Amino acid sequence: MKILVLNCGSSSVKFQLIETTPELIAANRDRRLAHGAVEKIGTDEAIVSCEVTGRAGLKFSREILEHKAAIEAAVGCLTDPSGAVLRHPEEIEGIGHRVVHGGERFTQSALLDDAVVKQLEDLIDLAPLHNPHNLKGYYASRALFPHARHVAVFDTAFHQTLAPHAFLYGLPYVLYERYRIRRYGFHGTSHRYVSYRFAQLHGRTRQDYKLITCHLGNGCSMCAIDHGKSVDTSMGFTPLEGLLMGTRSGDVDPAALLHVMSHEDLEIREASSLLNKHSGLYGVSGVSNDMRTLLAEAGKGHERARLAIDMFCYRAKKYLGAYFAAMNGADAVIFTGGIGENAPAVRAQICDGLSALGIAVDPARNAAALGVEQDLSAAGATTQVWAIPTNEELLIARDTLRTLLGIPHP
Amino acid sequence: MGIGHVAVIGGGTMGVGIARTIAGAGLEVTLIEKDEPSSTAAHAALTESLEQEIARWGLTAAEKQVTERRVAFTWEITEAARADLIVETVTEDLDLKNKIFARLDEICEPGIIFVTNTSTLSITQLGSRTRRPQRFVGLHFVNPVPKTRVAEVIRGLATSDETVEQVKQFATALGKTAIEVFEYPGYVTTRLILPLINEAIYVVLEGVATAEDVDTAMRLGYDFPLGPLALADRMGLDEVMSWMEHLFHELGDAKYRPCPLLRKMVRAGRLGVKTGEGFFKY
Repeated sequence: MKILVLNCGSSSVKFQLIETTPELIAANRDRRLAHGAVEKIGTDEAIVSCEVTGRAGLKFSREILEHKAAIEAAVGCLTDPSGAVLRHPEEIEGIGHRVVHGGERFTQSALLDDAVVKQLEDLIDLAPLHNPHNLKGYYASRALFPHARHVAVFDTAFHQTLAPHAFLYGLPYVLYERYRIRRYGFHGTSHRYVSYRFAQLHGRTRQDYKLITCHLGNGCSMCAIDHGKSVDTSMGFTPLEGLLMGTRSGDVDPAALLHVMSHEDLEIREASSLLNKHSGLYGVSGVSNDMRTLLAEAGKGHERARLAIDMFCYRAKKYLGAYFAAMNGADAVIFTGGIGENAPAVRAQICDGLSALGIAVDPARNAAALGVEQDLSAAGATTQVWAIPTNEELLIARDTLRTLLGIPHP
Repeated sequence: MGIGHVAVIGGGTMGVGIARTIAGAGLEVTLIEKDEPSSTAAHAALTESLEQEIARWGLTAAEKQVTERRVAFTWEITEAARADLIVETVTEDLDLKNKIFARLDEICEPGIIFVTNTSTLSITQLGSRTRRPQRFVGLHFVNPVPKTRVAEVIRGLATSDETVEQVKQFATALGKTAIEVFEYPGYVTTRLILPLINEAIYVVLEGVATAEDVDTAMRLGYDFPLGPLALADRMGLDEVMSWMEHLFHELGDAKYRPCPLLRKMVRAGRLGVKTGEGFFKY
């Protein structure tokens, strides 16, 4: 079945066309036919790019003012005679939508019908920056593909297995009742994909393992997965909590923020921008939010670049320890995301000095693993360390297929 | 009607603040000044205000760049013909505004809405001189425009419901809560804040309390972000006086009479922040 995967942001639409069936999933042979993006939506110089697997890419710029036109442009690329992965749009039977927030209602991917859409609209209050755009993508593609069925795949759903003692904050309980203030966790599709893939590589299922997955990209989160279930994760009510990230602070004493707000007379909007856009690796180093730049600068002796990397790794290491404790051990630690897949130095530093947890990384294997699935563990280590590239789009396509066929999501 | 491109006429404090707010909401702006030096000054003012916002953590360098790129600066009024909406923010001078709107009326499509940011002049009077009184409307922002969250949509006698609705939507798109007011001197915001400032000046004149204490009382007692006198210094005491005179003249009630101390300070050239001294030193 041909599935279109859509990830709609405020001014961008990322898309992939994926061919999948239950048999292909079992053999891990379902494949991407094409992928691309429409960026700078809302301007007369929006950029459309599309690459059909195995062929030269297509890229052009033109006026695209809203999501519907953006998705139309994407479909135009897919049906373009020169690329021709699709003869006509009706070949797309399912459309998988990445939806950031599923609140407490969605514990797995869901067929988008009127009732579900209504519930998603009610959730906008919890994710005002993301869900409205995800929904825009749905409305636009529903108009463009009336024959197709649509599935929502949530970033939060995988973490709905957290127990109350793990998801509640030490705030008055009434705030949970009033506003559903709690840990939701994000990157669920990624944590779920790499943990599934780890088990598949071992010929077993996720239910056989205790895993700690580390999604380290521009946004970063970790997840403790106990026999298939997410039992804790580092992001919280929003994607701000937990690890140090590119421009996000991660954990910080809220009183420190209140202190700064009072001294600098900051509004809520400014304080939010301070934490989300001016902090993290960028805010500490004063140089960049990009780990590659920081590693290069640190190599040249830039002290605050070094400090930012040290803080990043130390924070991740603390969470590793916490999740070992939460699950009374772990069989494997899995790195994924842009940094997790491609920065051996960061993986090595996070895992350094964890022999008490049975962790030891083989330097040569680690150094060689760039964007590939690789066991990084040294001989004799009792806890495995792996790098596994994430593939959220593939999981969205698979969930879409399974939802449409009515088969369970592993 | 989709508004994607707005022409802002006038690059003073309000014009630059409005241009920044519109660009910040993702729309294209053409800011039109009378000549090259004024245009350069307006550009510099925009850059400075965005830099101040970065220092307050509200914006990143990348966001500043994006916002700045959305604003084109020119001194050719004909550029306004390409816009979906015109916002006029020049000095409160009826003749000047009439002249500008007459020119805009010639070059802009008849369906284009004209918005004036006047806080004292008559929308009905300004609109009646154009061919589009039904598409002529007031939109009054409060300085500093990017921060304040309200916009008054002012209906002239001939303004159509459709125009009012479209401009309300425009204000909402800029992140402002729109309130609808009928044309009347001072609308709501100006009408209420000016007598308060004037009364505060009387309190100082009558020796009841110092300027510092007046402002402290209102900031701490009534949660004003700025005391009335510091606010007056920011507005410019000459502006405050001319608005008061206008209200006094229009409404004819003694309660709008400008306080003698205000007159004295204006005569002495102590106009507030812009001259380095008003009720406070800057």
